[in-house]
Amino acid sequence: MYKILLYVLISVLCMQVLAIQIDEERALHTVFFLKHGLNRALHAAAQQLDEDLLAQGIPAIDEEAAEEAAYRYLRENLRLSESLEPLPGSFLQSPVEVLAFDIINIDRVFPYRYSNGEHDFEATLHRPGVVMIIGAEYPRVFRLIKPIRWEIKGTAELYAPLGE
Amino acid sequence: MKQILVFVLFAGVLCWLMFAPIYKHVLIVRQAVLQKEADYLLEVGASGAYGYIDSRMIEQSRERLAGRGFDPSAVEYTVTTTSGEDGTNPQRPVPRGTGIRLEITYPYFRLFEIDRLIGITPPDPASRMSASGVKMSEYVPQAGL
Repeated sequence: MYKILLYVLISVLCMQVLAIQIDEERALHTVFFLKHGLNRALHAAAQQLDEDLLAQGIPAIDEEAAEEAAYRYLRENLRLSESLEPLPGSFLQSPVEVLAFDIINIDRVFPYRYSNGEHDFEATLHRPGVVMIIGAEYPRVFRLIKPIRWEIKGTAELYAPLGE
Repeated sequence: MKQILVFVLFAGVLCWLMFAPIYKHVLIVRQAVLQKEADYLLEVGASGAYGYIDSRMIEQSRERLAGRGFDPSAVEYTVTTTSGEDGTNPQRPVPRGTGIRLEITYPYFRLFEIDRLIGITPPDPASRMSASGVKMSEYVPQAGL
């Protein structure tokens, strides 16, 4: 009789280990998913040239267009709604939070040292650029691991095909 | 006698315990490889040198995926753009400011078949996993250079 009990106990233990393994593997892939989505959003934002200033030969970022592009590409890549809630079919289950969105434009002195103490992020920009930090919760499949919340940070510099 | 009976009763669960982790791992890795492939194609395709994802790039991508154990003929690529124009034409690259959208899908095949052992009905083998992304093109026509 005790062998049945042993079988059951071993089965439960193995299933728990398996569940933890699956969740941890997926949690790590979530980081890459979020990071690449964020990178593409920043890349789109950093392409928004201010045409009036460009006409005077100054490559600067059009701040309004940059913010709009960043949010649009973030939503498209992570499949989020207008209010950054996950759409049906999205990998994420809870809304994405934009913790910081800063545009470092031509009015600073370059190289510019950006630092955000609150989210522990520092970057040196040699040209105007955009910084964005997002927070998102990993959607757990099983309840065996603690909730994991990722803070993803990224930056992109103005991309101008005009040479230096 | 009783022990044999117990073993037979638990045989299905034991088999599942031994082999299900491998199938689940293959599933996660396939999904990750698809996502990496989509990221790579977008990185190259949206760069200033190309501005498109054409059939030649897709062919090379299929070869890379075949090297990772995928069935190259079952991988499907969908390239669209945010403005609605064709994103696969090397003669007319997508200009800077327009996004290239790529979706790669691959069938699950029978990866969930083993779950039958513990009484879970697997999803349809023809349903597909997918990886996608949108990246803004950097291509600028180099007129007169």
